[in-house]
Amino acid sequence: MDNNNPLSPHIQIYRWHISSLVSISHRITGIINIVAITVICFWIASLLLGETSYEFTKILLNSIFGKFIILSLTWSFSFQMLSEIRHLIMDLGYSFELKTTKITGLIVIIGSFVLTVLIYLLGKQII
Amino acid sequence: MNNVTKKWLFLKASSVVLIPLMTWFILSLISVFDKDYIDVVKFFSNQPSKFLVSLLLVFAYFFSALSISEVFEDYIQDEKIKNAAKKALNIFAIIIPLTTIIIIFNLTT
Repeated sequence: MDNNNPLSPHIQIYRWHISSLVSISHRITGIINIVAITVICFWIASLLLGETSYEFTKILLNSIFGKFIILSLTWSFSFQMLSEIRHLIMDLGYSFELKTTKITGLIVIIGSFVLTVLIYLLGKQII
Repeated sequence: MNNVTKKWLFLKASSVVLIPLMTWFILSLISVFDKDYIDVVKFFSNQPSKFLVSLLLVFAYFFSALSISEVFEDYIQDEKIKNAAKKALNIFAIIIPLTTIIIIFNLTT
């Protein structure tokens, strides 16, 4: 049976707005996060191989590249959380006005960077 | 209540559970990722971590399976490919967390 439901328009025909940027980033970070969680699952599984086999992982995680990956992941998680909170607020029927959606979109974008720094400093017990 | 409404409600309920779990997990990950093998094993094998990481995995994969299936719905037109992609996604969302949870409960220091 033919499905005549319309597909989403291709993203390249949109004129970019903060809302569309936040929306597509929400989907991209969602996919990044589940890939990252899957990598973390493999990391946990690698613990079964013992201390000697863990040396390479430790060197990788302690390198600048490893720290960059963790920091990027923190941003991706932070963005997803803030964007999800924005969605939940909208689901309750608030924040639909054009100006408000722009402001909340900006809060998500800027807030994700602020939250990343905050979470990193808290995690490292610097603050 | 139709299936689409149920799916939406499950998505929202799991996102409410995931927000605090993700905050806890990312904070813990930062404090432990560059530590020695024994510290990492200690973290994953203590009782609260075992429980919270398991909960996070169940909800994260459940949430992802639901939301990625929405992406398939939006961008894949061919019904056969769409159904195959959804099935593969669901199998993946069961096997990966289940295996990891079994591993976590078998980790000992």
